[in-house]
Amino acid sequence: MDEYDEMYGIEDDFEQQFADELEVMAEFEEDYKPPRKTKVSEFRNKKPLTFEEAIASGDPVPNDKAAARPPESAVSPQRTVNKPARQPSPGLDDHDFPEHLLDIDEFPSPKSKRRRQDVAKKLQFNSSEGEREITPPSSPEDYTRTMRDRVQAVPVRSLDISGLGELQASPRRVNTTSGHVLRRPPASGDYISVTDSSGNRVYLAKKEESTATAVDSRALRNAHYSLGLLSVPIEVLLEQAEERRHQQLVEESQRMTEMINSRIDEEFGEIDGREPEEEEEVAAGDGEQDGSASRLWVDKFSPRHYTELLSDDFTNRCLLKWLKQWDTVVFGREKAAKKPKPPQVDNKLSFQQKDQQNPRFKTKTQITEEILEAELDQYQRPKYKVALLSGPPGLGKTTLAHIIAKHAGYNVVEMNASDDRSAELFQKRIDTATQMKSVLGANERPNCLVIDEIDGAPSAAINVLLATLNRKESREADAEAGGIGALKKNKKKKTESVLLRPIICICNDLYTPALRPLRQQAFLLSFPQTQPSRLVQRLADIARRQGMKVDTGALMALCEKTDNDIRSCINTLQFLHGRGQRQLDQRLVQSMSVGLKDQNKGLFSVWQEIFQLPRVKRKRIGEDHFMEVSGQSSSATQRLQHVLHLASSSGEHEKLTQGLYDNFLNMKVKDHSLNSVCLALEWMGFCDILNETMLHGQNFSLMRYLPFLPAAFHLLFAATSVPRINYPNSHYEALTRTQHTKNMLVAMLAEIHPSIRSRVGMLCLSLDMLSMLLEVICPKLRPVNPQLYSTREKQQLVELVDTMLSYNLTYRQDRSPEGQYLYQLEPNMEEVVRFPGLPPRRQLTYQAKQMIAREIELERMRRPEAMLQARNPQRKAEEAEKKKAAQGGGSKPAARNHQQRLENIVKQTVVETRPEVDFFGRAIVPKEKPVPSAASGEEGKVSVELKMGKAVGNSDVWFRFNEGVSNAVRRNVYIKELL
Amino acid sequence: MSLWVDKYRPTSLGKLDFHKEQANQLKNLVQCGDFPHLLVYGPSGAGKKTRIMCLLRELYGPGVEKLRIEHQTITAPSKKKIEINTIASNYHLEVNASDAGNSDRVVIQELIKTVAQSQQIQSSTQRDFKVVLLTEVDRLTKDAQHALRRTMEKYMATCRLILCCNSTSKVIAPIRSRCLAVRVPLPNTEEVCSVLTGVCRKEGLLLPAELAKQIAEKSGRNLRKALLMCEACRVQQYPFSADQDIPDTDWEVYLRETANAIVSQQSPQRLLEVRARLYELLTHCIPPEIIIKGLVSELLSNCDGHLKPEVAQMAGYYEHRLHLGNKAIYHLEAFVAKFMAIYKKSMEEGLDGMMF
Repeated sequence: MDEYDEMYGIEDDFEQQFADELEVMAEFEEDYKPPRKTKVSEFRNKKPLTFEEAIASGDPVPNDKAAARPPESAVSPQRTVNKPARQPSPGLDDHDFPEHLLDIDEFPSPKSKRRRQDVAKKLQFNSSEGEREITPPSSPEDYTRTMRDRVQAVPVRSLDISGLGELQASPRRVNTTSGHVLRRPPASGDYISVTDSSGNRVYLAKKEESTATAVDSRALRNAHYSLGLLSVPIEVLLEQAEERRHQQLVEESQRMTEMINSRIDEEFGEIDGREPEEEEEVAAGDGEQDGSASRLWVDKFSPRHYTELLSDDFTNRCLLKWLKQWDTVVFGREKAAKKPKPPQVDNKLSFQQKDQQNPRFKTKTQITEEILEAELDQYQRPKYKVALLSGPPGLGKTTLAHIIAKHAGYNVVEMNASDDRSAELFQKRIDTATQMKSVLGANERPNCLVIDEIDGAPSAAINVLLATLNRKESREADAEAGGIGALKKNKKKKTESVLLRPIICICNDLYTPALRPLRQQAFLLSFPQTQPSRLVQRLADIARRQGMKVDTGALMALCEKTDNDIRSCINTLQFLHGRGQRQLDQRLVQSMSVGLKDQNKGLFSVWQEIFQLPRVKRKRIGEDHFMEVSGQSSSATQRLQHVLHLASSSGEHEKLTQGLYDNFLNMKVKDHSLNSVCLALEWMGFCDILNETMLHGQNFSLMRYLPFLPAAFHLLFAATSVPRINYPNSHYEALTRTQHTKNMLVAMLAEIHPSIRSRVGMLCLSLDMLSMLLEVICPKLRPVNPQLYSTREKQQLVELVDTMLSYNLTYRQDRSPEGQYLYQLEPNMEEVVRFPGLPPRRQLTYQAKQMIAREIELERMRRPEAMLQARNPQRKAEEAEKKKAAQGGGSKPAARNHQQRLENIVKQTVVETRPEVDFFGRAIVPKEKPVPSAASGEEGKVSVELKMGKAVGNSDVWFRFNEGVSNAVRRNVYIKELL
Repeated sequence: MSLWVDKYRPTSLGKLDFHKEQANQLKNLVQCGDFPHLLVYGPSGAGKKTRIMCLLRELYGPGVEKLRIEHQTITAPSKKKIEINTIASNYHLEVNASDAGNSDRVVIQELIKTVAQSQQIQSSTQRDFKVVLLTEVDRLTKDAQHALRRTMEKYMATCRLILCCNSTSKVIAPIRSRCLAVRVPLPNTEEVCSVLTGVCRKEGLLLPAELAKQIAEKSGRNLRKALLMCEACRVQQYPFSADQDIPDTDWEVYLRETANAIVSQQSPQRLLEVRARLYELLTHCIPPEIIIKGLVSELLSNCDGHLKPEVAQMAGYYEHRLHLGNKAIYHLEAFVAKFMAIYKKSMEEGLDGMMF
C-alpha cells in the first residue's frame, strides 16, 4: 500500500474519528468549517499547479474522444487536468474542445484570468497536437452518470473520497511514462485517478507539494477563523493530530507488518497442530458465512466445550464441581449403576485430583467453597441447591452455565426474562423442569434448570423458588419423623416432589433487594473480569477466521474500551467486518463509538475526576475517547469536554452539585484573591436559579446547561494531587435540622391560647420573642420553699407560671445520657434559640425548675375549674352542685328536696373559691355541699339525707367530705370547737 | 396573659398609643359604613395586628375577642389533604395561608369562598359582612394571589378582606389596587419610650428614661421586641439602673460574630467556617433575607468608606438572586466570598499604599 493511499485513508479516518469533537467544536464556533471542505480546497489548490506544470511540460494531449484514441498512439499519454471542483460540467463533454475551451472563459471562476492565458497556450498546442482538457465532475453522482454513458477504454477507477477500500482495491498498472497526466496509473509514486465528464480516465501523478498547499489553506483559514473561541486554535489541533498520525503510522505499519507476518506463521502452525474438528468448524463457519451472513458472530463463535470457555478458570471449576455434586443424586441413585458416564467421571476425578494436589494454595474463597461442597444433605444433594452466578454483562455467564450443564450431562432448560415470570407460572415451570424429563429423543438426559436474568424477576417469583427449595425439605422432615422405615419408603415415592435437579441462577446485580433471601441459600459465584489477554487471543482468532487483519494493540484497545465485555467486543468486530472493514487498527477502535458502554461511574469517581487533573498516560491504548485529540498534553478544551461528558452521563446533578459545593473549599486554591471561589459560587448561584426556573416552569430544556457547572469547577479547582472527598451531607443535615426546629415551633404554637396565637407567628417567635421569652421565664427565685416566699415573690411565681402556661411551655424531667436527671423545657425552645459558641444562658436550678413544673401542673388542673366557675360565678356553681348531688344521690326526689332547702342557705352565703383546699367551717358558712359518702348503703342514703336536710334547717354544723387527695393543712379539730 | 406584650395590648382604637390620627381615620372608616378591603402593611413590631384587632372590635364589638382555634382539613384537587389552623370568632376568620406552603391557592379558594358565600342571617343586628384576615400575604405564592383577585370582587357583599403583610412589594398589583392600603410605620423612639414607661408604671415599676431610650434603640423601635426586652431587663435586675445590660437575641449576637469572622480573615478555610455558621442560622429558622441584611449592616460598619457602595450593591445583587433561587446558602456564601475578595483586595492595596 503506498503512502498516499494510506494518507488518504487516514484523512478519512480522521474525520470519522474526530466527528464528535468536531461537532462540539461546531457548537462553540458558529462558522465552523468542516475539514472535508478544507480537503476539497486542498485539491483545488493542487490541481491548477499540476495543470500549469502540464502546460509547462509541453506535452499536450490531443483533443479527441478517449475511446477513439488508441493509447499507444500518443507520444506521451498525458492529460492536462483542470479541475475546478465546484463545477460539475456534464453538459460540457463530447463536444469539440475548442468550443469548450472558449466556454471556459465564461465560467465564473476566480482564476479566470490565468485560465485565459492557459487557454491561449492551449490553443497553440491545439493546432499542433490537440490538447485534451478534462473537467472531472466533483460529485460522484455526476461521475457515475457519465460513466454509464460511455464505453471505457481505460479501466474504471472510482475516485471515492470517502471509500478507502475502493482506493485500495484499485489495481495498478505499470506505466513507463513519467509525466504528470497519465493514461495509466504510474508505476511509482502517488497518483490520483480522474475521470472527465466524458468518462475518460487519466491518472495524475502526484508531486510532493501537498504540505505547501496544506499550509496555504491553513493560512487562509487562519485569516478567516482566528476568533480564538477555542483555547487552542483548531489549526494547531489539526496540526498536532496530523503529526501524531504520521508518527503512529510509521510505527504501526512497521509493527503491523512484523506482527502479521510472525503471527500468521505461528497460527498456521498452530492450526495444523489442533484437532481437525476445529478445522471443520472453521470451514463450516466460512460456509455459513457465505450462506447466512446474518448470523451473529457471538453465536457462531460461542464456546462449545468446557475447554473453550473464556471466563475465569477458577469460577468454571467451582461451578462444575458444584454441579458434579449432584451426580450422586441425579445419576448415582438411579442411573449411576447402569450408566456411569466415563468421561464425566474422568473429569471429575481429574478435578478432584487437582484440588487434592494443591491444597496449600487455596484462597479463602476456595476453602469456604470446598467446605460448602463437602457437605451433602440426607438426599446426597449439595448443601446449596442453587448456584447464583453474578457479574456484569458480557462475561459469559449464560454461556458458562449452558456449557457446564451440558458438560456434566444435563439437558439445559432455560428460563429468562423473556418468559412470563409471575409466581404461578414460575412455580409451574420449575416443577416441570425439575421433576420431568423428556421421554422422546435418544438422549434422555436429566434437566438442569438455568434461570437467567433472575435479578429482574419479581420477588414473588423468587419466593416461589425458595419455597421449592424449602417446602420440600420440611416435608422430608415430616417423613423423617415418621420413622426410618417409612423414610426409606417415602423417599422412593417422593423423588418426584423433592428437588433433585440442580438450578443455576444468573444475575447481573447480586444485591438486588429481591434476591436477598436467595442469596443466603445459594452457592454464590461472582464472575471476575475476563482476562484481556485471553479475550484478545480469542478475538484475534475470530478475526483471522473471518479474514480480518487485526493487531494485538487494537484488540487490547477494544477490550479496554468495552470493559472486557466479550459480547460487545465480538459484536463490534462483526459490525466492522460487515461494514467492509477488513482491517482493524487502533485508531479505528478508538474512533468508534460502537461498543462504548454508557459510562456509569460512581459519584465519588466523578467528583474525583473533576477535582483531579488527568494523569499523563504513557500508553495510548486505554485512553478515553475524548482525551484522544489532546493526547499527552490534554489541553483545557479536552478536559472540559471530558468533564462535560462525565457530568452529563452521571445524571445526578443535584447530588453532584452538592458534592462539589461541599468539597471545593477544601481543595488547594491557588489564587490568593479568592477570585476563583467567587467565580465558583457565582456558578453555584447560577445553577440554583437554573434549577428553580426549571422546576418552577417545568422547563426542562434548561437541563442541558447543568453539566457546565462541574466543568467550570474542574477548570477552576482541578489539581494534580488526589483530592479527599467527603460525601455531601451538609445540605441534608441542614434540611432535617430546620425541619426539626420548625416542628418544635409548631408544637409550641399549637396549644397557645388563641388570643395570643393570633399575634405570634413562627417567624416572630424565632426572630423576636423566644430569646427574650427564655430570659423572662428565668427569674431569680430564692432557693427556698415557695411557702416562705414573700407576697411579691409569690406574685412573681404566679406570673411566671402564667407566662409559661400561656406560651405552652413547661418543664419535663429528663434523664441525660450520663444518668443525671434534668428538667428541660418542653417543647425544648432552648434548642431553637441557642447557637453554638455563645455563652450559655442563665439556667434555673434543678429545684426551681421542679417547683415550677409542679406549679404548672397544678395550675393546669386549676384552670378549667376556675374557668367554669368564672363564667357564672353563682348559678353555675350551683348547677354543678346540683348535678353532683343528683349523681351522688340515688333517689331524685330526695336530692331535689335537699337542694331546694340548700339553695336558700347558699344564696345567703359568700362563695369561697378555694376548691382545692378542704376545710371545716362554721354553720354560717354553709357553702360546702353535703355529699353523701359513697360508702353509705342504698337504703341508708335516703334516711341520711333526710336527716341532713333536716339538719340544714336545725343545726348550725355542716361538714363536707371530699374524696381524693388533698393538700389541706391538717390540724386537730376538737368537737367542742365545732359545737 | 402575663407577658407585658400581651397584658397591656390596647384593645380599642381609642386606646392606641401612637399613630392616633390614623386610628381616628380608621374609626371614621368604620362609622361611615362603607368598609373597603384593607391592605395593612408595615414592619414587624409596629402594631399592625393590634390595630386590625382594634378595628374589628370597632366593627363588631367585644364579641370578636372570643377567639377559637379551628383545625381545618382541605382536600386539594390532587387528593392531597392540607391541614391548616385558623383563628376565628363569630365575625371574622384569620388564616395564614402561607402555612400551607405550595398549596396555599387551594386554601384561599376553599376557605375564603366558604366564608364569603355564606350570608349573615341577622343583618339587622350586625354588619352584613364578615371579615377574613389574611396574614403574611407577601409569602403567598403568585397563584394564590391571583386566586384572591376575583374572590375579592365577587363576594364584596358578604365579605371583606384585611390583608396583613410586611411589604407590599410582593403583593401583586391587582390586589394592591383593590385594597385600601394602610401603612403602619414603626413608632419613633419617643413613642416607644412612652409606651415602655407607661407599661412599667402600670406594673408599678420605675423605668429610667435613659434605659427606656436604650431599649428603644436596641430593639430597632420594634415595639414587641422593646417590651420583651424591658421585661427581660426587669427579670434580670429589678431596681433598674440606667446603664443596665440589655439582653440581646441570640441570633443577632451570632450574626455579629459571623460578620466579625468575615472581616478578620479572608481565606477559603474561613469561608468554610462562615458557611457552617450560615447553615446554623438558617436551621434556626432565621430567614435568609434577614441574615443578609444583618450581615450587610455589620459589614458596612466595618469597612472603609469607598467600599461601602460596592458592598451595598453586591448585597442587593445577591439578595435578588437569593429570591430567584431556591437554596439560600449558595447566595449567602457567594455574597460573603465576594465581600472577602473585595475587602482583601482593598486591604492589600491599602498596605501597598502604606509601603510607598
